[in-house]
Amino acid sequence: MTTRDHIIKWLAYTLALLPVWFLDAFLLSRFPLWGVRPMLLPVCAMALATLEGATAGAGFSLGVGVLFDALAPDLIPGSMTLLFALLGLGCGLLAQYVLRQDLIGHLICSALALCAIDAVRIALRLTAGVAGVGAMAQVAGKEILWSLCFVPGVYLLFRWVFRRVPKPTVL
Amino acid sequence: MKDFLKNNGILILIIAVLLSLITAVVSLTFGGFVNPFANVANVLATPFRNGIHAFVEWSEGVYSDAFEREQLIQELEQLRQENAELRRQAREGEANSRENERLRDLLGLKNLRPDFQFQEATVTARGSSNWSATLTLNVGSAQDVAQGNCVVDRYGNLVGIISSAGLNWSTVTTVVDVDLEMGALNARTDSAAIAEGDFALMGQGRLKLSFLPQGEQLLSGDTILTSGLQSGGTAEYPSGLVIGYVEAVRSDESGMSDYAILTPATKLEELEQVFVIKSFEMVEK
Repeated sequence: MTTRDHIIKWLAYTLALLPVWFLDAFLLSRFPLWGVRPMLLPVCAMALATLEGATAGAGFSLGVGVLFDALAPDLIPGSMTLLFALLGLGCGLLAQYVLRQDLIGHLICSALALCAIDAVRIALRLTAGVAGVGAMAQVAGKEILWSLCFVPGVYLLFRWVFRRVPKPTVL
Repeated sequence: MKDFLKNNGILILIIAVLLSLITAVVSLTFGGFVNPFANVANVLATPFRNGIHAFVEWSEGVYSDAFEREQLIQELEQLRQENAELRRQAREGEANSRENERLRDLLGLKNLRPDFQFQEATVTARGSSNWSATLTLNVGSAQDVAQGNCVVDRYGNLVGIISSAGLNWSTVTTVVDVDLEMGALNARTDSAAIAEGDFALMGQGRLKLSFLPQGEQLLSGDTILTSGLQSGGTAEYPSGLVIGYVEAVRSDESGMSDYAILTPATKLEELEQVFVIKSFEMVEK
């Protein structure tokens, strides 16, 4: 793959991320369901990790993590950048070697990533003593379920891009 | 895994660790100063946020026109009847109405606190995280808005505190957020307490009044004001802003102390326009 191919590929994925991010940050945030809003950026990151594998997944998730941290920083700023990169790597490996690189694989990877993110958030808040486990687990559960409803849509969007971007030639 | 190591995987992880550390160090070192990534991302997002805000407003208008016409006609007819009745009442109580008007003016926040310097702002986005309760405003450091400024609605009810201010945007931590903690006063008894966000109540749009004085008898509907003190006791915020009203009194898990559940005086879900108090004279109550 040439440098130009790489640029086109990552630009295409970034453009695919934009509408989902807009939906997440500016529209769905205005209309919470059961009192919660979905978390779509990790779902996007895991879609790419599922389709492209560990290295690309880690790289894209790193970028998405920076965006996530910049717009909705958690108790420790910067923590989500690292967590997203690790999740991209882990889910990329999982999809490549254990699961299949399809919708079910993406659903499992997204569920794992969302659980991991909320587990870290709960752990940080427990350490800071700002809330009880019960209340946080309730919010996390609803947030994960609501976010998983968007997995098919996000997967189809990223698969559509994946099928059109340049790929390395296998000899 | 071998592929990952071969294809710059380690480099990606090193970059992730470095970015994470830089963000954490910059944010933690400079307190309310927004980290450069957040500032750039939010400055870039501002036009989109404003555009989407305008689009949502417009589409809500179109929706109302298209689907709620019949209902609006009925409501209009009902309002006409109510209007006629009110006009009759207004004629009867003209003198009372004039007095009411004067009292309303007297109670106007600007008249009440001429020391307040306001900056008008529009709520352009609501926090997308379920773990905090924030609003994004279309004003920032370019308009002299700074971290710690109080934000009120048009009636002078407290909305929250500016937690970070970028160039042309700022984030308000609302009164129900778990990070917000401030000195409070019961307007009826003048007793001090702490108003703070509570995670379990945040989803319901409520907050908590804790550290109540021994023997304090709260009544449902009691008005809770800012005392002007932070929870640590240092003077920081304007005093006399309405935080909310007592809804219920509960005992904590240990059963040793009571706390009250407050309903914010401002309607957080409906806010469109707010006012940032940029400066004020310190009056400790």
